[in-house]
Amino acid sequence: MPIKYQTWQAFEVKSFGEAEMDLIRRRLNWISTSKWLAFFPGWINFSSMVAVEINWPEALRAVDNSKALGELRGILLNGLRIALRDRSDISETQLEDFTQDALLRVLDRFEQFAGRSKFTTWAHTIAINTAFTELRRKRWQDVSLDALTEAGKQLSEETTLPDKALGDDEERTRLVETLRKAIGEKLSARQRAAIAGELQGLPFDQIVELLGTNRNAAYKLLHDARRALKTQLSAEGISQETIRTVFAL
Amino acid sequence: MKTLTPEQIKGIVHMVAQTREQELNCSECQSFVGEFAERQLAGLPLDEALERVEHHLTLCPDCREELLALEKILRESP
Repeated sequence: MPIKYQTWQAFEVKSFGEAEMDLIRRRLNWISTSKWLAFFPGWINFSSMVAVEINWPEALRAVDNSKALGELRGILLNGLRIALRDRSDISETQLEDFTQDALLRVLDRFEQFAGRSKFTTWAHTIAINTAFTELRRKRWQDVSLDALTEAGKQLSEETTLPDKALGDDEERTRLVETLRKAIGEKLSARQRAAIAGELQGLPFDQIVELLGTNRNAAYKLLHDARRALKTQLSAEGISQETIRTVFAL
Repeated sequence: MKTLTPEQIKGIVHMVAQTREQELNCSECQSFVGEFAERQLAGLPLDEALERVEHHLTLCPDCREELLALEKILRESP
């Protein structure tokens, strides 16, 4: 199996074939046992300064990838056990289901792995996202789009966002008033619903599902909403200084 | 919807104030978060792309929650 040779000083990773790696191992072995080592005591542990990792993309691409799949499955399952250790409501069966789903997603995407991190780190991010998305979905499955849209509408009402919510200070009052008006006048119903979802602590994936869109489109919807509010606050002369005082409350 | 608490209002203002013209979305963040976590744990500096990941994490509680889980795994896995 081709393997990856990774220096430990940084994140520089080079790939070598089996034969090249064999040569490197023999050379390292020669260095570590050579009498010349006496002159370079710092090299004594040179051979332990490298970590060898499976070249996962190549191992998964192989015709018989069952060994690699089994190994990766174990790594991901162990990772999820660590990540979700504090959640007593999650069974081993659920962990195994999450792992299986994550493994399928890894197999679907591993050709996109850019090598910016270790492959196993990248695979862990997929496993975590798979598990957390499912757990969040179950927790919030009873929330409806209608309820979210109504909550969004109420964000532009004074009963939900009262002028004096941050105290009697004139600048803070003006900030809240301007924000409320901007939410009512500059945002669409979907943007207001998305903001209401965030305020209620709804996971982003649940907002995405309720809006019937995808993650990227929903993020753009929210990003555009934040930009519109920022532009409006600025146009109304709400300074960064005023905003800073809000955080100093 | 109940009257917003000062914390919730500050949350909106924070999100608005932190808004940039160009931001990473969650999928883009996920592509880089592995490298971000590895470098953070190793105490290595962040380049421009990873600084954008850091910015996304200040705005996105879901991605932040997933980063914390990843860091936990990286710290404890052999």
